[in-house]
Amino acid sequence: MAVPTVPRTLEQRPPEPQLLARMRRLGPSLSRALLAIILAFSLGGIVITLTNGNPLAAYWNMFLGAFGDLQSFSYTLVIVTSLIFAGLSVAIANRAGLFNIGAQGQLAVGAMTAGIIAFKAPNAPGWLLIPLMIVASALAGAIWGGIVGLLKAWRGSHEVVTTIMLNWTAFYISDYLISGPFKAPNQANQTSSLPLQATLPRLSIWYNDTLGKFLPQIPQPEQYLVDVSIFFALIALVVYWFITRRTTFGYEVRVIGQNPKAAQYAGIPIKRNIVLAMALAGAFAGLAGSLHLMGQFPYQLIGTTFALDTTGFDGIGVALLGNTTPLGILFGALFFGGLRQGGNLMQLNTNVPIDVYRFIEALVLLFITAQFLPGFQRYLPNWLRVNRPPATATLAASSVGAPTGGAAMVDLPDNGNNLHLAENNGLPPGEKLASVDRHSDQVEEN
Amino acid sequence: MLLVQVLLRVLGSSDLWAATLQFGALLLLPALGGVISERSGVTNIAMEGMMLTGAFAAVMGAKATNSLLGGVLFAMIAGGLMALIHGIVSIHLRANQIVSGIGINIAALGLTNFLLFTLTNGQGYPSLPNALRLPNISWGPLANIPFFGPVLFQQNIVFYLAVLILLGMQFLLFHTNIGLRIRAVGEHPQAADTAGVNVFRVRYLCVIASGLLSGLAGAFFSQGISGVFNPNMTAGAGFIALAAMIFGKYIPWGAAAACLIFGLGEALSPRLQDSGISANLLSTLPYLLTLVALVGLVGRTTAPAADGIPYEPGTE
Repeated sequence: MAVPTVPRTLEQRPPEPQLLARMRRLGPSLSRALLAIILAFSLGGIVITLTNGNPLAAYWNMFLGAFGDLQSFSYTLVIVTSLIFAGLSVAIANRAGLFNIGAQGQLAVGAMTAGIIAFKAPNAPGWLLIPLMIVASALAGAIWGGIVGLLKAWRGSHEVVTTIMLNWTAFYISDYLISGPFKAPNQANQTSSLPLQATLPRLSIWYNDTLGKFLPQIPQPEQYLVDVSIFFALIALVVYWFITRRTTFGYEVRVIGQNPKAAQYAGIPIKRNIVLAMALAGAFAGLAGSLHLMGQFPYQLIGTTFALDTTGFDGIGVALLGNTTPLGILFGALFFGGLRQGGNLMQLNTNVPIDVYRFIEALVLLFITAQFLPGFQRYLPNWLRVNRPPATATLAASSVGAPTGGAAMVDLPDNGNNLHLAENNGLPPGEKLASVDRHSDQVEEN
Repeated sequence: MLLVQVLLRVLGSSDLWAATLQFGALLLLPALGGVISERSGVTNIAMEGMMLTGAFAAVMGAKATNSLLGGVLFAMIAGGLMALIHGIVSIHLRANQIVSGIGINIAALGLTNFLLFTLTNGQGYPSLPNALRLPNISWGPLANIPFFGPVLFQQNIVFYLAVLILLGMQFLLFHTNIGLRIRAVGEHPQAADTAGVNVFRVRYLCVIASGLLSGLAGAFFSQGISGVFNPNMTAGAGFIALAAMIFGKYIPWGAAAACLIFGLGEALSPRLQDSGISANLLSTLPYLLTLVALVGLVGRTTAPAADGIPYEPGTE
């Protein structure tokens, strides 16, 4: 008869140095993202080769076009600003185990609201108008996202479906407003530009007007496109970090996202937090819309833009690539922003169509969500490997290296797909208690 | 007053109802694809992308093979291939099926634009001569019946095909052994597996079927209705089909009824231009109706129990 061995649990291990523990958590999510990117570029390269292009030249031009010089980089940062907000919108919903496909619609509503305020009060002073537009757009986005949360909490309606419906509703309503009540005279399908005091200055010009009075000036400031809203995006990243890591709400949302049953046992108000998380997601997306409108020429709303623009959907890639962490989202936004901006120079110099960037983006999404990367990782150095949570109950508690945070969607695919909250979290019946332990452990580690 | 007059005039015209049926059939094909895919437990929001790929492949295929059937075949194969990718990623690789669906949609947009640019060297959009377009069928004397003739008996060939597929799928899903297996796999794959049903195979076949149907719809759009491929020409039709599927409670009949309602909306909006009703506002109708359906005001819509959950053999 075999003697049962005592399972090694977390308590029995010598405590790991903090840095090493951090590295072990970072490794898997980093290697997952890197592998997805490498695979996507490789497949994209094959497609370019098949159509008689030179992938290396194409990618090099793409890189130069995005990060090659300061001017290109400033163009990239314009896209990055929107993508950070869109990524945050998807990420915070994802922390609650929800899938916000509605960022694009919430963005449209936000931009529309900001525009309406400026058009209705064209003579108001800038110090009043700008904060009002920003706050109102965040509120409008929050309402548009909050509806989704309400429907989810109240009726259990799947958020993916409701967000898709609300997206198209938002597109058509904004098109109606743009081509109807707010149409510019003698123009088709566009509004007039915002009043000048309602726009945000370019970063370089703003610097010259303020700090530049004491420090060296930037020569030819007009050539740098990025406006001051990049600061708002960076602030939003910090706010997101604070909300998810330093507030009760952030903690509760993480528990809900990773294990709704555990959250219910712990008495966490699930419905309220779901509505709040979706409202916050909507607010971030609404800001993406209004700040882009206020910061970029031609400062006007154009019909069908929102249905064609993909910022809201790119946000999904940004959040997934960044594993819903603030730094990850920043890098994800830089990656996707660079891809989109760099595509222009690639098309110009190598005649490879810019649409390759979409293809690569789609491949990154597919590769990052597919669960075959752990198979590849077997051949990687130790620190890059995913430690898959052991299957048995007691050992489960020791899964230090399991991806934490918002990885629920990627690593616990069942949770992201709940149709009926708290009825169906996909866990085998026998494992309920064990997984409660496991998840609460993980949350504390954060 | 003006509004009522315009409405009465428009509602009485056979033209409107013919267009309604045409749009309805266009939406019905991907909606049926969605029904069979989700019934087998694979969430599919990628009908839009599969349709777009199909629309592109239809025009290119018809041009390349210089035959009408070649276009349709290319379209269905292209849609099926996109579906196969979705299938592999979400069935074998147990990915999040929403992410995979979005990936397919974005890939379709990028790929069609990319190929359009490289294959035509950026010179205009490819259009088809009449001989390569899917024809309308005229049913002899029946086509001459006033009102009903133009509405029912002069439709595109794909319309009649769509009706046949609708009848076939309703029968298949609810009156055959195969249908029972499909639904079992979507409701409780573990039980189906125990009963000897090959869960993976059923799911693959259903997802691919959704791709074939969406591809056919794409061909109907580009090769039949418009005769030309424009970038992103489906412009959300696949999402209306998704809405129709949910509105129809994952039942072929229901989806067909929803497609008719949404088709009427699509057909009405350009015809009400001079009545003061905004076409844009009218276009929100399918989506708002679906939201109402989801909230449960017209009876609860419930997805199959295992919809969207990857199946792992050996789990309880």
